[in-house]
Amino acid sequence: MDTLSSSFRDPSGFVFLHDGIVHRQVNNVFADNYDALISSGLYDKLVERKLLIAHEEVTDGSVLGTRDCYRILKPQQIPFVSYPYEWSFSQLKDAAMLTLKVQHEAIRHGFILKDASAYNVQFLDSRPVFIDTLSFDTYTPGTPWVAYKQFCQHFLAPLALMAHTDVELSKLMISHIDGVPLPLASKLLPFKTRFNYAIATHIHLHSRMQQQHANNAADATPAAGKHSSLSEQSLKALMEALAKTVQKLTWKMPDTEWGDYYENTNYSDRAGEEKRGLVDRLLGSIPDRLNIVQDFGANTGEFSRIAAKHSALVVSQDIDPVAVEINYRKSASDGPSNILPLIQDFSSPSPAIGWSNAERDSFLQRSHCDALLVLALVHHLAISNNVPLPNIAALFASLTRWLVIEFVPKEDSQVIRLLATREDIFPNYTRDGFEAAFLHYFTIEESSPVAESERTLYLMKTRP
Amino acid sequence: MLRTLVALMALLSVSQGAFAYLDPGTGSMILQGVIAAIAVVGFTIKSYWYKIRAFFGKGGSASLLDDDEEGQRPE
Repeated sequence: MDTLSSSFRDPSGFVFLHDGIVHRQVNNVFADNYDALISSGLYDKLVERKLLIAHEEVTDGSVLGTRDCYRILKPQQIPFVSYPYEWSFSQLKDAAMLTLKVQHEAIRHGFILKDASAYNVQFLDSRPVFIDTLSFDTYTPGTPWVAYKQFCQHFLAPLALMAHTDVELSKLMISHIDGVPLPLASKLLPFKTRFNYAIATHIHLHSRMQQQHANNAADATPAAGKHSSLSEQSLKALMEALAKTVQKLTWKMPDTEWGDYYENTNYSDRAGEEKRGLVDRLLGSIPDRLNIVQDFGANTGEFSRIAAKHSALVVSQDIDPVAVEINYRKSASDGPSNILPLIQDFSSPSPAIGWSNAERDSFLQRSHCDALLVLALVHHLAISNNVPLPNIAALFASLTRWLVIEFVPKEDSQVIRLLATREDIFPNYTRDGFEAAFLHYFTIEESSPVAESERTLYLMKTRP
Repeated sequence: MLRTLVALMALLSVSQGAFAYLDPGTGSMILQGVIAAIAVVGFTIKSYWYKIRAFFGKGGSASLLDDDEEGQRPE
């Protein structure tokens, strides 16, 4: 059995692959709880509200579990798995609200979330969805929420840091797999947040309370236990308070270097129009069925929207958190919904993290696609980041079968700008050098100059 | 030491669901009680206000978590 290494913490069950399809085993120990989830109507309600991933039970014996197996579930598949350190501010915020909505509905049906991990959320059709069907524990009135701390670490702390300190601090989720430690968040948040009631309590005071009680088992007396009882009304009020806190957290987007890129391109309107038409035609000429197209250096997703006409899903990645935020908001409000915007630094993509370096896959482990769209990116990798062209070609060839790529030569004003402040140590950065490097891994199916610009667009196919 | 351990286990067994596998953290458990006790006052008042509104035929929910923006997204 190909058990996924991300799924060992919760003894209620686990996730595994069968014929490349993700399945979930419900262990015998969780049988009553699982049955209650279904019979209470909670499962149906959550699926109807599009809050929880739908599943079917595998009952024909085609997929076998372990000896401990009660049920095998085949959930609706998530075509591309993403992680919170790759989400823009609004994606993490929407994931937080989703978690609270799931919890709210659960409490109504006599359940409570036993965890509040950001990794329980994935994006499907431009909206967050809760994927852990086994997170629902029976609610005993009077008991507090055991996942309150985890909710603060996985959602409130990174959101507050992104909103009040720096949006890049979502990357702290890479170094801390169970969310941002509250003492660290408290230290990094500006002093003014101590006058914000919600942040002052959920993060600053929370951090102090944690530290006070951390190594002091003597505090864990029945007296302390008395405080930890919580009426159902209070629990609901706590969820409303957390929802209000999340809703109020806003990130004021700065004008970054590339934030208004498509409004300020260096090529003419006609060249822009021509480039859109070319990308559309080249993607349309690919004979294979496209399930996943990756758009590297997608900016706000202008060309991802063209690719979305040709592919079931377009994973639209960029290094700029502003561009990704704009891309997500556009996709969520206006569609198309088959675009997944993510933050990714291609010079140092997301590593594999967690136990055995295997709980969360690296960017490269997740990035295989049917076609790769790389527009106006290669000069950044080759010149700003000194990556030799053969290395760039090798990486792309390892990820995709089809490649639509743009070469921006040294005569282009964008490249002139990159070279203005440094020595030109790139004698091979020419059209010929580019083609030679890529021909080692690809065949060039078509190349077309972009009219009224110095640029060339290529359709390439990986050599067998 | 033993007394402390027993007390700790008693606390955790009282305060967790049957399948809890996270360490809820003593400080976090105490703090959420305090925050919730304050929040419940405001939320109770808000709930009554929405009941009065409903009596006069006005819609809306006191909860921020009922609205799931159905119909606002393109399919």
